Amino acid sequence: MAHGNGVWRVVRGPFAGRTWREFGYLITGFPLGLLYFGLTVAGLAIGAGLLVTFLGVPLLAGVLAMGRGFGRVERARVRGLLGGRVGEPAPIRARKPGAFPAMGAVLKSGSAWRHVLYPVLHFPWAVFGFTLALVFWVCGWALLLYPLYFWAFPAFADQPGLIVFQNDGYAFYLDSPAAIAATAAAGLALTLATPWVIRALTTVDRVLVTSLLGPSRLDSRVSELESDRGAVVDTAAADLRRIERDLHDGAQARLVALAMDLGLAKEKLAEDPRSAARMVDEAHGEVKTALRELRDLARGIHPAVLTDRGLDAALSSVASRCAVPVKVAVELPERPSASVEGIAYFTVSELLQNVSKHARARTASVDVWRSGDRLLLQVTDDGRGGADARAGTGLAGLAGRLDAVDGALAVDSPAGGGTTVTAEVPWRA
Amino acid sequence: MEDRVRVVIAEDSVLLREGLTRLLTDRGHDVVAGVGDAEALVKTVAELDAEDALPDVVVADVRMPPTHTDEGIRAAVRLRRDHPGMGVLVLSQYVEEQYATELLAGSTTGVGYLLKDRVAEVREFLDAVVRVARGGTALDPEVVAQLLGRSRKQDVLAGLTPREREVLGLMAEGRTNSAVAKQLVVSDGAVEKHVGNIFMKLGLSPSDGDHRRVLAVLTYLRS
Repeated sequence: MAHGNGVWRVVRGPFAGRTWREFGYLITGFPLGLLYFGLTVAGLAIGAGLLVTFLGVPLLAGVLAMGRGFGRVERARVRGLLGGRVGEPAPIRARKPGAFPAMGAVLKSGSAWRHVLYPVLHFPWAVFGFTLALVFWVCGWALLLYPLYFWAFPAFADQPGLIVFQNDGYAFYLDSPAAIAATAAAGLALTLATPWVIRALTTVDRVLVTSLLGPSRLDSRVSELESDRGAVVDTAAADLRRIERDLHDGAQARLVALAMDLGLAKEKLAEDPRSAARMVDEAHGEVKTALRELRDLARGIHPAVLTDRGLDAALSSVASRCAVPVKVAVELPERPSASVEGIAYFTVSELLQNVSKHARARTASVDVWRSGDRLLLQVTDDGRGGADARAGTGLAGLAGRLDAVDGALAVDSPAGGGTTVTAEVPWRA
Repeated sequence: MEDRVRVVIAEDSVLLREGLTRLLTDRGHDVVAGVGDAEALVKTVAELDAEDALPDVVVADVRMPPTHTDEGIRAAVRLRRDHPGMGVLVLSQYVEEQYATELLAGSTTGVGYLLKDRVAEVREFLDAVVRVARGGTALDPEVVAQLLGRSRKQDVLAGLTPREREVLGLMAEGRTNSAVAKQLVVSDGAVEKHVGNIFMKLGLSPSDGDHRRVLAVLTYLRS
């Protein structure tokens, strides 16, 4: 905003789109609140009354389901008119198909009962908000515009102006210029105050909707964990596909070629021993290559030294395979759990691969230490920098996988200034 | 040599492509082209066809770039449609009955589907290549086992003797009577007797040609 000061905001307030949307929210809130309240209270009363018959339970479940419907409208209203963020509550899932399990699930759902509580708490507040907002708005503009129409009083109402109070034989009219000016000033004050009153009122509405109609804190955590679990499962599936691909393209193909060579050699053994011997020689070379490929693949799945000797030893072996000299410093008082070691190992291993492939560094270092309940890993190089955690799929994938285990990744990589990647993983012993 | 055939190889692993080339040329066959993906295969065959030099048989891997899934099968199905006179032998790291069914849809002449490992049995593999090039069939024993296992005619199949089941399996692989006889180390006459019994038990009319016989057996198993 060009005039970033408070005065401008106060003057603009009554005309701002946001004020009008909030005003609209409060005005529509009353008839809707009346509808919700009437239907819900009547439904609950009849349902409770009929509980002794077989109609009561379905009716109550119906009222609860209706409450969820109202909740949807209210959340949409908050999102559209107040611009607030309200998540959808977790859907109600019955354990078994059929009408009765569905009814039971609705009746047992805490969220559904909160949805029924909402109309009851919202209605009085909606009446109050509606009234207050309307009074402020109408009185404000009416008084502010008084100088424009005070002539109408003598002309039509047979009195000199707006009447303030009337006593036996005495009445005070707003008819002097000073009184007219004071009235307009009061109107201006009310009009300028209206946006703030409306804001205060809708803040309460927002809290009501988010706390009663939004997802519960447990729901939120569950959905967060569900998405994390999805990421973990995806990662595991991708890893399996990669391993299958590596086997298919590497060792399997090599062994097939080997079988072919040996088959041919066997055919030739009698008629052409010399070329058979050459083929066996080639096959021998193939076997050695296949063995090396299998060893690399197995280490890629899980390095044995990590289980036997821990991170320090395993990282030394990763560092020795890096294209640049790497200094490794692991300072851990004790060994974390195998899964934490695995995550740390593959994180460092991937980061060092990046150093080998992209950094054009002369040296690099790996530091691993524990800070409170976190395990910290830092890989630093003196290369060309410019690594971006968002652009590269490698770093982004790594960040995603760490996120899935409640870890985090930070990249500091100014162009030309080397790269420092810090990862943290929750410590579990 | 009468059994010389002209081959196009499609295999993305250079190692295996060269191995196959060596294996085939060593036996006097003519490898006219070697390509690394399905698109190049279809293009090469079309070019050869335009020069009136269609190969006798195409040997293709199932998994090839770009997606490394079933390009080979799809290319094979297309080649079989576009060039019915040419044999197509598909090699795969895994054999799947589903792929076999797609490949065999329509006709069973000049088609093969073998596990890659079969190349180790050099003589049998080369036999299969020649058989497919000459319009015959070469189905991997694993595919045949899957077909037999999935067949809905289990009660009829249960009525066969173990030897008859063996003969049925070898027949479904696409072997001739004499090849079956050699494999089982029995006389040609004995195999003929078994085949007669099998066709009678399955309720099929005994047909003369080997190709049509395979077709009858496969149709029966898949129905």
